[in-house]
Amino acid sequence: MLRTIIAGVRARTARLLLSSVAIMLGVAFVTGTLVLGDGITEGMRDEFAKSARGVDLSMSTTGEGPQAETGISQATLDKVRSTPGVQGADLRTVVGAAMLTQSGKAKPATVGPLASTPELREYDLKEGRYPTSPTEAAVDVRTLATAKVSIGQQITLLDKQDGKHPFTIVGTFAQGANSMSLAGSEHFVVLPEVMSGLTDELHAYGLVAKAAPGVTQEQLVADVKKAVGEQGYTFRTGEQLTTETLAQISSRSSEMTQVLLVFALIALVVAAMVIYNTFTILVAQRTRELALMRCVGASRGQVFGSVMAEAFVMGLFASVIGLLGGLGVSALMQVVIGAVSDDNIVVRLPLAPTTVLAAFAVGVLITVVAAFLPAHKATKVAPIAALRAQLDSHEEVARTSKVRIAFALLLGLAGVGVVAFGMNLDEEQALLVTGTGTMLLLAMVVTLGPVLVGPVNRVLGVLPRALFGVPAKLASGNAGRNPKRTAATTAALMIGVTIVSLVTVVATSAKETANAEVDSRFPADYTVTSSVGSRTLPQGMAAQLAAVPEVAKVAPVAAFGVPGPADGGAYLMATTPEMIGDLVKPKATSGAITGLKSGDVAVNSRFAERSGLAVGSTLTLGADATKRDLKVVAVVEGLDASGLVTLDTLRAFKPADDGFDSIMVKLRDGVTAEAGRTAVEKVTDPSPIAVIDSAAETKAQLNTQVDQVLAFIWALIGLAVVIALFGIANTLTLSVLERTRESALLRALGLTKGQLRLMLVVESVLMAVMGAAIGLVLGIGFGGLLVKGMSSDSFPIAFAVPYGQIAVMLLAAVVAAMVAAAMPARRAGRTSVVAGMAEA
Amino acid sequence: MGQSMSAVASETSRVGTQAAVAANGLVKVYGKGDTAVRALGGVSVEFQAGRFTAIMGPSGSGKSTLMHCLAGLDSSDGGSVHIGGTEITGLNDKDLTKLRRDRVGFVFQAFNLLPTLSAEQNILLGLELAGRKADKQWFDTIVDVLGLRDRLKHKPSELSGGQQQRVACARALVARPDVVFADEPTGNLDSRSGAEVLDFLRMSVRKLGQTVIMVTHDPVAASYADRVVLLADGHLAGEIQNPTADSVLSALKHLGA
Repeated sequence: MLRTIIAGVRARTARLLLSSVAIMLGVAFVTGTLVLGDGITEGMRDEFAKSARGVDLSMSTTGEGPQAETGISQATLDKVRSTPGVQGADLRTVVGAAMLTQSGKAKPATVGPLASTPELREYDLKEGRYPTSPTEAAVDVRTLATAKVSIGQQITLLDKQDGKHPFTIVGTFAQGANSMSLAGSEHFVVLPEVMSGLTDELHAYGLVAKAAPGVTQEQLVADVKKAVGEQGYTFRTGEQLTTETLAQISSRSSEMTQVLLVFALIALVVAAMVIYNTFTILVAQRTRELALMRCVGASRGQVFGSVMAEAFVMGLFASVIGLLGGLGVSALMQVVIGAVSDDNIVVRLPLAPTTVLAAFAVGVLITVVAAFLPAHKATKVAPIAALRAQLDSHEEVARTSKVRIAFALLLGLAGVGVVAFGMNLDEEQALLVTGTGTMLLLAMVVTLGPVLVGPVNRVLGVLPRALFGVPAKLASGNAGRNPKRTAATTAALMIGVTIVSLVTVVATSAKETANAEVDSRFPADYTVTSSVGSRTLPQGMAAQLAAVPEVAKVAPVAAFGVPGPADGGAYLMATTPEMIGDLVKPKATSGAITGLKSGDVAVNSRFAERSGLAVGSTLTLGADATKRDLKVVAVVEGLDASGLVTLDTLRAFKPADDGFDSIMVKLRDGVTAEAGRTAVEKVTDPSPIAVIDSAAETKAQLNTQVDQVLAFIWALIGLAVVIALFGIANTLTLSVLERTRESALLRALGLTKGQLRLMLVVESVLMAVMGAAIGLVLGIGFGGLLVKGMSSDSFPIAFAVPYGQIAVMLLAAVVAAMVAAAMPARRAGRTSVVAGMAEA
Repeated sequence: MGQSMSAVASETSRVGTQAAVAANGLVKVYGKGDTAVRALGGVSVEFQAGRFTAIMGPSGSGKSTLMHCLAGLDSSDGGSVHIGGTEITGLNDKDLTKLRRDRVGFVFQAFNLLPTLSAEQNILLGLELAGRKADKQWFDTIVDVLGLRDRLKHKPSELSGGQQQRVACARALVARPDVVFADEPTGNLDSRSGAEVLDFLRMSVRKLGQTVIMVTHDPVAASYADRVVLLADGHLAGEIQNPTADSVLSALKHLGA
């Protein structure tokens, strides 16, 4: 029997290889996503671990005592350094400064001290050297690229008082994830003694120390505790620090892994369908061969066993290749992510035992299970009947069973129920629950597939029939002749397209809503802001801008966190009274903001709810000398602060500085955007920190972020769609083989080679469009449900359909289907009529 | 052998005036070099219009190959074939396809019909491919003669073997081709259904003036023809006019079949 199996595999190598491609792709995608998830986790772990490496003792303030305010002092550091058993110790701190670029504009920068003990550095030298004199600095390799500086160049850092500190760049470093790199600005390292020159308030948040040889971490901690006292500090051994840091990451990275797992699951389902379909066809075609084996004396069990063994061999072979392919997919994705996020990512390919297990479970198990049903069916047929039977699978088309309908109904009811439930939940939960509900509905449609194929095929077939006549009519007939097969073939594509269009619709809706929000909240043409968050724009700039002839209106905006008399303070935003309701116009839900005077406040609805405020009530803010009562005149939405007041009201609370956070500028009618920008720039150019934002630029920035996420998801699902298209090519190839005689008959009756090829292409396109069209309808519908579920009164999301992208998807499906049909069509065209007629 | 054909001639008008199909020195070789097999070794034969001719011979005599070459389904390696005055040897695939669709009808042994189409759609398939309209009267005549009226809407899987072959006959005739080729048309049928199909083919020649060329190995089927052409080892081995089952059987015995 074994010899027969091997001979069988050999004889059908080409056909089996083709079918194996589906399994390989499925395995590759599942392992690819798993490896990618593990790789990202591992990467984060290594990055974070850099902050704990080399550390034997870590000290941080607890938030009580004097050091909570001032941070760990130099005196404490000296005490630790002189403690026996300490080989070296350093403070950990960062200072925010501004870096002057070549254009004279400032960019936010973060500066850290170079640890005197090399083992305690959280970064690695890449090029050049570390600073050795107070006028030298090393720069993060990322900054090197983004700020366009190079080794040997001079840069200038500005302190809070605009004092200039020149440095020469002497080296570059790469750093892991730590409080400096996560701050997201330009990064520098200087000698520790330089730090205090950059700021008045140097706040060291931590102290790390390395033990001398032979001193254990526990002993070191005990000794240092004795030397500096335990009051107000938390002590950790290096090991504890590592464990705690890693614990932090796992919770972060597990979110990413979960997202990837969802995609892996989708890939799994799609791959399983393609594999199952392939085997059903393969075995159906071999019914006769299997019957012959029965006739010459093979038992039912032997025949069944041979099919299963073949499936096993094929699954095993495809899994190994798929596993390797998955590593490749993962590496590719990491390179792509690295390129998109502009980061120098190290490609990591950790192969966990669970990944290998998943690969073989997908490849072998699904293949064997997929082969089980058809093999069982094939061996149940009486040998002689099977031998005599015409080789055409349309005979095996069963009526849609009642069980199927009942099951679909059950899924549908569950789906509707879950969606309805999700609709009443809050944003994030709504997303999860409604999402689950839509997936149940998707499962219902997949189950109903064979029932849907007929009508959908008839509707979709109208256009090609009108365009291409008889070949298209035959193609439409072929696409609908075995509804189960067509349904299974198109389901894979349908699932992929559903998910892609769902995600795209939700993302587009969110994007459009955000854009509309930007439009309504920024009625101004430009907003001048400070490029360095901690520093405000000078007061005179508002007047200067107002004096520019091209400028119609100017709204200076200041904001300040005002402490409350007891606990709760409020973050107040202020502008001039005449601009309230003009350039600054949050939507009032009760009361009115126009005519808001000194002493009045318009409060944010969420703040009002939390503090129990309504129009007419009083809000008391400030402490001691600045304590004042504010009259609530309106409750508003879309305000990035607790309340909106006039500038004098804000000034009465004595804010830290009297500059503006931003100045909104509205141009006169008829002034072009270019002329306006030039005029505004004349005022802002002398100030190093003033930058001009336009609403359009803000939108572009927002959209880029959403688009990046979307591109990532398209790439992931794109793989699932590729698998699905292979499924179509596979089904078509096998159908062509199965219909060799039929094709020959058509050729004999006068169908030209070209028409025969056209027929197959139309059939392929019909199947693809069927999957894509149902997928689009479902995806858009589900997207609408999700948007509705996530949307709330306080944060309404408008449903928007990305017609352009949908058209692209449909077009891509059509083109891909034509490509998928190319091989089978060529093969069908090549077969001679006589040879085709002779085929058994 | 060699009875007079005058009895038949009086019933039809087109007999003997011209050859519907003619082969001249037809050669067909399968394979190359040492393994080459001469399936047809220079066959010259004419088939008169309006007559029912059977091609017979033992297995491997080349009778199917001859039919494939005559019908333009297969290319030849020498000699020429004419259908209705047109030389088909040397035509490219596209022209051959067009010629088959316009001037030739086929009835095969099995698998004659497309499973996705109804009986009526199957009958009209060839005309549709040619972009021609069916002659309604002619269609009705054929359908009624073949007794297919109440079966037109059925799919092939809902028809018996005999009914399927009759649908195939209707399809072959509906386009009024120059010639109908039938390849073992009764091979898969029981004797009663087979007789019905053969009766119809003979009637289409006698009453409707059709030209039919049939390949068969069954002497009884051959006896329905006006003339039997015998083939052995790729060469003509004689012919019988107005054959009977017995005369065909004894001729075959002489061939050593």
